[in-house]
Amino acid sequence: MTVGTQSLLDAPADAPLRDRILSATLRCIGRWGVTKTTLDDIARAAGCSRATVYRAFPGGKDVLLHEAATHEILAFFAEVAADVDAASDLADALTRALLDATRRLRRHEALQYLVAHEPGVILPYTSFDGIQPLLDLAAATVAPLLERHLPTSSAPQQAAELSEWLVRVVLAYALDVDDEAVVDLTDPADTRRFVTTFAVPGVEPDQPGPDRTQP
Amino acid sequence: MSGDTRSRLLAATLACVERWGLAKTTIEDVAAEAGLSRATVYRYFPGGREQLISETITWEVAGFFARVAQEVAAEPTVAGQIRRGLMFGHRAIVEHKLLQQVLAAEPEDLLTELSTSSPLVHGVIRGYLDDLLSGETLVPGVDRHEAADYLARLYLSYLGTPGRWDLADEASVDRLVRTQFLGGVLAGAGGAGEPGTPQPEVR
Repeated sequence: MTVGTQSLLDAPADAPLRDRILSATLRCIGRWGVTKTTLDDIARAAGCSRATVYRAFPGGKDVLLHEAATHEILAFFAEVAADVDAASDLADALTRALLDATRRLRRHEALQYLVAHEPGVILPYTSFDGIQPLLDLAAATVAPLLERHLPTSSAPQQAAELSEWLVRVVLAYALDVDDEAVVDLTDPADTRRFVTTFAVPGVEPDQPGPDRTQP
Repeated sequence: MSGDTRSRLLAATLACVERWGLAKTTIEDVAAEAGLSRATVYRYFPGGREQLISETITWEVAGFFARVAQEVAAEPTVAGQIRRGLMFGHRAIVEHKLLQQVLAAEPEDLLTELSTSSPLVHGVIRGYLDDLLSGETLVPGVDRHEAADYLARLYLSYLGTPGRWDLADEASVDRLVRTQFLGGVLAGAGGAGEPGTPQPEVR
């Protein structure tokens, strides 16, 4: 299996067969959704036979969906992390993460179709404890890149916390189809304002010792 | 009394869902459970099963947040209300047997229903926080409505998924509220910590 560092949406025409089939799966979902998409649809979109699809993915549709989703999620975090890696400070890092994540989710037709028409398919992964894998992935991929912008004594902890904050904000603002959202996470200036208003001031400064004398 | 009959039907639906699940609960089950006729059920819920299930869930959600509101009311500060709301609310979710049961067995149906009521829930919490913030000194430049909206979204996110935060631990929740929730919103709420001197500005 190929390690996903790039969305299958961008898979080139000469990509390996498995990637082409997974990419075709996403295109079909973006058009017809999970329930209506058949293996015949996928084979046609991939330009191969049904038998070839079965040979590549003996588990059939369920396995295809699972592998396509897994690939996309891993690719998503790898792509966002690459953007965050280039940041100059914490505000820039958080801003880049939100902008990049929002842009990638909005252009993802398969995801958008499910959000709009088959929410039951997507909600188990975006609610309650279903979110945990996303939080873990953010902590594994994005958090290490935030550490360098944080006070050294607590950098790993605060970085992990902020990486989870990013996932929460993306789910609550970018994925939620809600016109009432006050911030536009597709706009760089507005996103930076949001980040410097709500997230950056919450960062705790270096504390030399555990003596926090409070009245 | 019509209010009573309605509540009886909603409570009966909850009992049926607990026994048979969302998908298998029928109008007949609910009528039998409530000791009423099918016709009565339809009189109160002309949309039938779908409306009954949907309104039962909304009813339960509203009851849940009413209990949270009652629990936080005694807290004198914004930080205290959010802290208590997180701790009480999260525990109530973990201990909500029916929620956990349906969440495990029929997540798709339940979450779809819950998501239809979530804009309403978000709106109510946002409005509550907006009122709460109107008596506080905000960090200069912070828009109260946007802050209330932000806090409501964050609150709902943590309520369902604590992630790496221990929402049963007061010190942990206190730190969470002081940093991610109010660090940029309330003057003096950030890491520096300057509690106890809120200036209730009359405007």
